[in-house]
Amino acid sequence: MNRWKNKLDEMQEQKLLKIEHNGVWLAFWGLFATIIIQIIIGKENILRSIAGEWIVFMLLSGYMLAACIKNGIWDRRLSPNPKTNASVSLIAGIATGLILFALFYGNSHSITLSAVFGLCFSAGTFAVLFLVMSILSSLYKRRVNKLEADPGEPGGRKK
Amino acid sequence: MGRNIAIKVARAQRDMTQKELAEAVGISRQTVNAIEQGEYNPTIKLCRAICRVLEKTLDDLFWEEKDDEQMEK
Repeated sequence: MNRWKNKLDEMQEQKLLKIEHNGVWLAFWGLFATIIIQIIIGKENILRSIAGEWIVFMLLSGYMLAACIKNGIWDRRLSPNPKTNASVSLIAGIATGLILFALFYGNSHSITLSAVFGLCFSAGTFAVLFLVMSILSSLYKRRVNKLEADPGEPGGRKK
Repeated sequence: MGRNIAIKVARAQRDMTQKELAEAVGISRQTVNAIEQGEYNPTIKLCRAICRVLEKTLDDLFWEEKDDEQMEK
């Protein structure tokens, strides 16, 4: 008998997938929280101290992004439209601005400078993220059109 | 999803325990129990395997009248 044969039945397999799903999200948000905490409390050489977590976080995010787009999946609830992309980018921009404001204020004790610094990063994050999300949603739409095209219809997938 | 009484009845007719049915189909006893309790919705492949072991049709074991489906909703 094959030693490596799957010993789980379909219900157990589904349960394991659910457990693995929870584990991945725990790892994802755990890494994210670790990175943020290290940025906030780290004294010096912050980049070096978060490098490991950042690489794993980026690999995880990159894999999920690529796999989702390849399979024509965006999100359970959100739609890939400019309004949603702008809202998500705005939330991320505000969060980044606030974190950097707090960090800069902790070092400089200048509220004006910290506010300018925070605002600049907030706007920058918003702009970059909005651009990236727009590109990704366009890639996603192209992929979905390809997957949904009927091979028998004109313009469908090639036989 | 409601309880699947039909499987339980068919199993009892053949004097089989959940464990015996599970072994015959090649799944775990907890999966048989979950199907009977209506806690797990099996794939068509598994439904067919259960039907074969219990010598019943898909309709006999898994068909639900429209009224039953609506009542569950």
